Amino acid sequence: MRARRRPSRARCARSDLDDAARPFADLYVACDEDDYLLVAEGPSGAELVEHVRRHAVDLDVTLDDLTPTHGFVSLNGPYAWELLAAVTSPDVIGLPYLGFFHEGRFTCFRGGRTGEYGYDLLVARGELASVRAALIEAGVQFDLREVGLEAIDLCALENGFFNVHRDGLAGLTPIELQLQWRLSYHRTYPGSAALVARRGIATQRTVMMASREPIDRDAGVELAGERVGSIINVGKSPVRDEWLALAVVERDVAHPGIAFTIGGVQVNSISSPAINNRSAYVDPQRHSYHTRDRDTFPPLVRS
Amino acid sequence: MRPESVLGHVATREQILAKLRHVLITRLKLRRELDELDPDAPLFGSGFGLDSLDAVELVVCMDNELGVRVPDGGMLRQQMRSLNTLVDLVIAQQGAA
Repeated sequence: MRARRRPSRARCARSDLDDAARPFADLYVACDEDDYLLVAEGPSGAELVEHVRRHAVDLDVTLDDLTPTHGFVSLNGPYAWELLAAVTSPDVIGLPYLGFFHEGRFTCFRGGRTGEYGYDLLVARGELASVRAALIEAGVQFDLREVGLEAIDLCALENGFFNVHRDGLAGLTPIELQLQWRLSYHRTYPGSAALVARRGIATQRTVMMASREPIDRDAGVELAGERVGSIINVGKSPVRDEWLALAVVERDVAHPGIAFTIGGVQVNSISSPAINNRSAYVDPQRHSYHTRDRDTFPPLVRS
Repeated sequence: MRPESVLGHVATREQILAKLRHVLITRLKLRRELDELDPDAPLFGSGFGLDSLDAVELVVCMDNELGVRVPDGGMLRQQMRSLNTLVDLVIAQQGAA
């Protein structure tokens, strides 16, 4: 979505709640020269426009839904920056997290939710095929693979990233979801009153769990025979060769290092993220996909 | 009724969490209140915004106030990802002592 407004100071942030303080969208707000670009996961373009319109009553703003005219191609991985630089320019290496730039064929946002270097390219629909083809051609030397959203969702689970399509559907607020770092209690915004009211009285919190056995998403989380929570997201981690679950449990036991049971299977709570994603150690100034065999990195799974 | 072993484990973690939250606010001047510091929230970068200078200060505080040496090099980043990973480190080192 594009919101045209009179120019003012630039900032870029990510968060959006409904009036009950539940996540409505995972939002990327980019301040362009004369506009704001809002890139959202969760609602449709029309729903986002309606949400903004409902809350921007006194603002001088025009809202354009870009969904009919634009689409996204995303690149994620420890060397995504290198592949993208081959298609655009080496300047992309210096793009900070949550930054963006306009290239002739697309607008590139650095973000992602896999824990790796991630770039979302906003492309006019008429250019999508050619941009995708250029990435695939350049991607041959990077062993590029095309994946669907399920793979991205699994990466998000492994890396403890909020997933609005799964975690966001549990009816929880940022307090239970451990997302308070994304918001401020000193500002007023949709859901802020509900959030303040919930502060100090929330009785649950999320915790990551791991098991060698499959985890039943519909079974309750138990501790010593007593139900203490439920599962909001689950998946098999190929990196850990284990099942992972994001559970919401009673706050007093929402800690790593505890043995719970889910559907009769023992699971252990662990600190998030579940893997030690490689991008935390890849330095675009020193490393390259093509010399990765000569580089030494910490293991992908914490001991 | 929680098992005694769980109560003890949780009490240990909460105690260490409380000390770490105090360090973040009083020593690193993090402009947050104690209850906002979720245990799995990312400490650096786009999380709570700590930087490399804060990392140095945090390493010193871990040593001075908790008696814990944060490992050098590649292990540093994974151990300092969040309050929970720092608590894991403290418990591991105190258990080894």
